[in-house]
Amino acid sequence: MTLLWQPSPPDHVPSDHIVDFDFFDIPAGCTDPTEIWHNLVKQGVPPIFYTPHNGGHWVFLNYADVVEGYRNHELFSTYQTPIPPIEPFPIMQPQGIDPPDNKVFRLLLSPMFTPLAVRRMTEGLHARANHLIDTFEAKNHCDFVRDYAELFPTATFLELFGLGAERLPEFLALANTFFRSVDPAVRAQNVTDIYAVLDQLFREKNANPGTDIASTIVQGRDENGQQHKWDDILNCGFLLFVAGLDTVTNTMTYIWRYLATNPRARQHFISKMDDQQASLIALEELMRINAVSNLYRRVTKDCEFRGIQFKRNDRVILPNTVANRDNKIFENAMEIDLNRKVNNHVTFGVGPHRCIGSHLAKREILVSIQAWLTRIPDFHLDNGDVGAEAFGGAVMGFRSLKLRW
Amino acid sequence: MRVIANLDICQGHARCEDLCPEVFSTDPIEGKVVVQVDEIPDDLIEKVRLTVRNCPEGALRLVKGNAQ
Repeated sequence: MTLLWQPSPPDHVPSDHIVDFDFFDIPAGCTDPTEIWHNLVKQGVPPIFYTPHNGGHWVFLNYADVVEGYRNHELFSTYQTPIPPIEPFPIMQPQGIDPPDNKVFRLLLSPMFTPLAVRRMTEGLHARANHLIDTFEAKNHCDFVRDYAELFPTATFLELFGLGAERLPEFLALANTFFRSVDPAVRAQNVTDIYAVLDQLFREKNANPGTDIASTIVQGRDENGQQHKWDDILNCGFLLFVAGLDTVTNTMTYIWRYLATNPRARQHFISKMDDQQASLIALEELMRINAVSNLYRRVTKDCEFRGIQFKRNDRVILPNTVANRDNKIFENAMEIDLNRKVNNHVTFGVGPHRCIGSHLAKREILVSIQAWLTRIPDFHLDNGDVGAEAFGGAVMGFRSLKLRW
Repeated sequence: MRVIANLDICQGHARCEDLCPEVFSTDPIEGKVVVQVDEIPDDLIEKVRLTVRNCPEGALRLVKGNAQ
């Protein structure tokens, strides 16, 4: 790809900590974008290194450093973090606000995403899974990404936000541009477009509130009993839009590719269908191995961390896929063990910004696995297709996965 | 044996509730851990020990003695 901006590394970066690494650049023929990250470890690059690509940023590879990047919000802020930089960038509520101020919107959202709240959604998620499978089961083949993985979380989002299913294509297009484009002009226009859609949505909910999440956000009150600032309401909608769609789509795609080529894994989920705890343990292992997100942080002040000088506003990437296979933490880290006993993966982050939608995401995926395997217990990659059009970036994945049964 | 949960550290991953619902649940507002059992029955101690190790935040401790 063409580099848009590649300045020399800043003076404070030691030359032996510079690596030529572009996390958007997936080699032709590569069908697993996480490989570019794991190759770094294989090559033995420093566990904390700097790359001049994409505006210049650090990368943490060790589990312990990634965890510190999540937990130490005083040093590693979530405020204004995009890589490559977009300025000004919307301040996502509550993810883009440092503690303790993130609490306001986090508390507004959390009752809608607790395990209890998500358990109440389970029946609806099952119905959605079965409805989607209805559309292709009899054909004995599908493109899993187009026919299922993109549709499921986006349709869930529309329902949670009290929007009609007819808006699915519009939301899919907005999300794809947001996650895939590296053209600053396209990205800036895309953010403007997303905000226009959200502004209209929240205005409608403000006038005619329902029981959906958008209505809850717009009806939320601050400590003085006033509606939250309109910008914050939009920023909260923006967060839920960008956080809950693409992540689930690509995690599912990775998981289905694995299931298509592993009859024993399929059998494991089928045999544990009535064993909730065993199913959750197996799901957690799939979440560890199929971590598609690379999170961004911004250094808040000039400092020394692990003996290396950092400057205020340096950007950092926390690649979950690498942390989750750190063999200092995980036994047989590269192996998939559906009975793994201790599994403190960081797929949903840790610390004050732990993914608030994690329970919904996991439920969407487990419900989908169970609904699918009940109806299509045996399936394989169509004609050996291992997935096409792999992409890197903040969320990794591939845009097509042809399955047959 | 009993479990001490540090609610300042708990971030609501709910791994404890997934792994050992006999002892752990989560609250309906923040989704943080609620330890439902004061004294852990002997037959659950190993399960609770494993659950404590699976807290991504290290917010749980298994200690001797009953709740006071």
